[in-house]
Amino acid sequence: MTAFILRRLAISAILLFFVSIVAFLIITLAPGSPYPWGDLNPKISPAVQNAFRKRFHLDQPIYKQYLLTMRDLFSGDLRSTKDDRPVLQKIAERLPATLKLNILALTLAFTFGILLGVFCVRHYGRAPDTFASLIAFILIALPSFWISYLITIALVKVFAVPILGTQSYGIAFSNDLRKWLDTFWHLALPATVLSLNGIAVQSRFIRASMAETLKEDYIRTARAKGLPEDAVFYKHALRNSIRPLVTGLGYLLPALLGGSVIVETIFAYPGIGRLGYQAVLDRDYPSLIALNFITAALVLLGNLFADLLYAVVDPRVRLE
Amino acid sequence: MIRTIVIGVPLFFAFLITASFLNELTLASKKKNEMIISLAGDPQNFNPIQSTDTTSSAISGNIFDGLLKYDENLELAPELAQSWTISQTSTFFFTTPTAAAHALATLKANSAKWPLLHIIHASLQNRCVIVSLSVPGYSDSNAIASLISPLPITVFRANLTTASARKALAAARTAAATQTFASSLLPEKNWYDYDAAYEATIVGPFAPAFGELISFHSSQGRFPASVEVVNTGHFIAEPQIDFELRRNVKWQDGAPFSARDVTFTFRSIMDENVHSPRKADFDKVFTVEALNPYHVRITYRGLYSPALASWTMGVLPAHILEGKPASWWAVNFNRQPIGTGPFKFEEWKTNEYVRLSKNPLYFDVPPWLDGITYRIIPDALTQRLAFETRQVDFLQVDPWSVKSNQKNPNYQLYSTPGGAYGYIGWNLRNPIFQDPRVRTALAHAVNIPAVVHFILYGQAIQSTGIFPPNAWYFNPKVQPYPFDPAKATALLEEAGWKKGPNGMRFKDGKPLSFTLLTPSNQEIRKDIATLVQDDLRKIGVDTKIENYEWSVFLSQHILKLDFDAVVLGWAGGGYDQYQIWSSTQTKPGLLNFVGYSNPKVDQLLEQIRQEYDRRTIIRLAGELQSTIYHDQPYLFLFVPNETTAVWKNAFRVYRPDGRGRYIDTPIIPPKAGWSYYSKWFYRPEYASRLPRPVQNPPPL
Repeated sequence: MTAFILRRLAISAILLFFVSIVAFLIITLAPGSPYPWGDLNPKISPAVQNAFRKRFHLDQPIYKQYLLTMRDLFSGDLRSTKDDRPVLQKIAERLPATLKLNILALTLAFTFGILLGVFCVRHYGRAPDTFASLIAFILIALPSFWISYLITIALVKVFAVPILGTQSYGIAFSNDLRKWLDTFWHLALPATVLSLNGIAVQSRFIRASMAETLKEDYIRTARAKGLPEDAVFYKHALRNSIRPLVTGLGYLLPALLGGSVIVETIFAYPGIGRLGYQAVLDRDYPSLIALNFITAALVLLGNLFADLLYAVVDPRVRLE
Repeated sequence: MIRTIVIGVPLFFAFLITASFLNELTLASKKKNEMIISLAGDPQNFNPIQSTDTTSSAISGNIFDGLLKYDENLELAPELAQSWTISQTSTFFFTTPTAAAHALATLKANSAKWPLLHIIHASLQNRCVIVSLSVPGYSDSNAIASLISPLPITVFRANLTTASARKALAAARTAAATQTFASSLLPEKNWYDYDAAYEATIVGPFAPAFGELISFHSSQGRFPASVEVVNTGHFIAEPQIDFELRRNVKWQDGAPFSARDVTFTFRSIMDENVHSPRKADFDKVFTVEALNPYHVRITYRGLYSPALASWTMGVLPAHILEGKPASWWAVNFNRQPIGTGPFKFEEWKTNEYVRLSKNPLYFDVPPWLDGITYRIIPDALTQRLAFETRQVDFLQVDPWSVKSNQKNPNYQLYSTPGGAYGYIGWNLRNPIFQDPRVRTALAHAVNIPAVVHFILYGQAIQSTGIFPPNAWYFNPKVQPYPFDPAKATALLEEAGWKKGPNGMRFKDGKPLSFTLLTPSNQEIRKDIATLVQDDLRKIGVDTKIENYEWSVFLSQHILKLDFDAVVLGWAGGGYDQYQIWSSTQTKPGLLNFVGYSNPKVDQLLEQIRQEYDRRTIIRLAGELQSTIYHDQPYLFLFVPNETTAVWKNAFRVYRPDGRGRYIDTPIIPPKAGWSYYSKWFYRPEYASRLPRPVQNPPPL
């Protein structure tokens, strides 16, 4: 087990190294320049431009730029070309909001997804199943910007309910519960939109997997034992069908830190998606490289984590 | 058990969401006496000398004060300085101190002419006569030179880039001192450091010899240096601005404001490690001296009148920043600034909001608003919804929705022509566009009113050249070219472009055909290109359109001068348009990328930046605008309107009534941009008309 983990970590480190090189090249070789004052600025003298290039190592050969960037990244001193602030600090300051949003969205996706999937299997092949499946397919097909706009317009025009930011502004809260509910509301809206696709996908997943499990011999045995249908369904069938979902949790590690540009923009939510998007627009190389590196590291860790979970959930699997 | 979880957990979340929704429905809003403004993106930082985006400067403008400010009519007015005077020192050189004394005596003998020549006083220093003038400019000094006939002088620029190169220059100087023109060199103070090049002034007819000496000594030191003559004349003109600072100004942390802050701010801008985009504005400054804690004297290396406006830039607190590196500023000051302005910084939640509150220590009447909140709302529709529900007080209205917003009786819309203009730039290196008749023909062939009508929904006016209509130096007499395809056809025929069998025009077997480039992320510019293509096809001009991503567009086409024609725009810039129109700025990477060159324009551009007299500036700018417009190096398209919506009567302004009291008046449309919020206040009577009820109207 330990040997397996160590070997995997070593492979991941090598992989991460190559990923970081490719990412670095893609980011820095793309057209555009990271100058915070834009490209056609009559007021910038060559001296200022050169001082800036020197400050951010842009005057170095590209391999040296890579090494210096990585050195700064690991020492925590990598600074954004846009505002000269440490990149890790910029990411950390958006982290709590992003984590809250993604955790809630994933929770909603899984809980409602499982509920919908179970509902479908319960009525397998009959009208309610067909209807629920239709809804699932509609949810998969809906573009998130469109549904976000519909929801915001409806809420604002019909109910005059505020939808943006992390909190209502200019409100007299009579007690803390109402304040907490207000914060939750601003989290729940984008989280719901983000989870819609996940709900649909998870429900299809559960539906297929459970339909398969229900055909197994041990289900027939359980029924033959005279167990109540609910016990057969939830305890024997659902528990066994949910296994792939649990192992899949490992792959969600990067999703926790990921951002959605569209939803964050529409709901004016201060997440990591907007940081990354703005960094692309500004050609803020250090921020992009750091975000990219962290995501790549999380994907690799997530894979490892998923493999470990697999062994934990299914005793038949041995890690060697 | 499992069943309970599968059904219970989603139900619990559904309940929570419903509860929070019901909670939202019944929340009572409490509108404070503050203004809420939406921003599309996070500001960069609040350091007035480091930020480059308009969002940051809009906010930091409320926190920091400059020595001067623009008033509501876009005119310069005192702010931290209570007054300023512009004068000039002219230095005349003579072969010997005796000759100089003699010249001074001649000048004094003509004291009757002094008022006419704006002479304040004249003095002797070694072999120089130094004359102070109350009005900057060349004409008075030239008149004096003809009276006292001083030595001719030459100003050099030696293009040396390292510190050791300076040594080469010094060596040249020492060597020069042993030669014939021994005493002809000026004291150290006239060796200017200019953008890592050094300017030296020498006196007498020895100029070429000295140039050679510098070259020689730099090559000895292995520093290749090019030496060019920048200027020749009979005197050195050094304009001075004297600022008398206010004495009652305090920083928001209570420390007193003084001339030290001004000198520190200037030093910081010039410090290359600060990466100040403002550095170019101050390149011509020679010294900034604090003569006493409330008197700053700024001396310039030459006449450069736009320099005055650069002192509107915010002044930094020396007592906080002095001795700290720029990386310290970035983390500890630029995000929690301390200024002298009417509002002080309270809180910045990244990507959410920036809060300012009223500064009780403000030197002028404190603001009537308790604060300003900037909410960051990146999406245009969300911004609009936020405005409709009074989550923000302002809305930047897009051209397409101006008409529908005007119909809403609750909104007050303010529309002014902005400070930007759109154009099609012709690459004048292309033989097709070298003929001015072709450019004029194209200007008559494009239906600009239709462009404005269809693309900007009528929310623009036709541009008549390089200056925005709201500027004080704008020339209203320039008439825009009308849409006249017949005249365009006639001009093209005259220029020799005849119609071929396919209806397209040819000359010497070559088709009248070119490619129009647009940046792909700018829908309006792409639409313009399409309309222009259609208009030009009608008169037999074949246009192809190509779109490129902005950075490719810029780096591969504009900066490399690889294009026929581009749809672009300029914003701002002031009356000194040297970098965009001077024939010296046509190399790759510079801003005169169309390659425009007109000796008359070059001369006007030089003249206007040396002119301090307002009426002369207006005359020169008018001539400049008219000449360039009629040359048509660009096809000047339009000046878009900037439209802002505010809830009707939600805010009012206190204005002095002239008898020492302030009266409640409606807000008036600004000439450019919204500012002067400090004189605004929120109107409580308005509360009942809000979509959501307001509690506790603030006392006034």
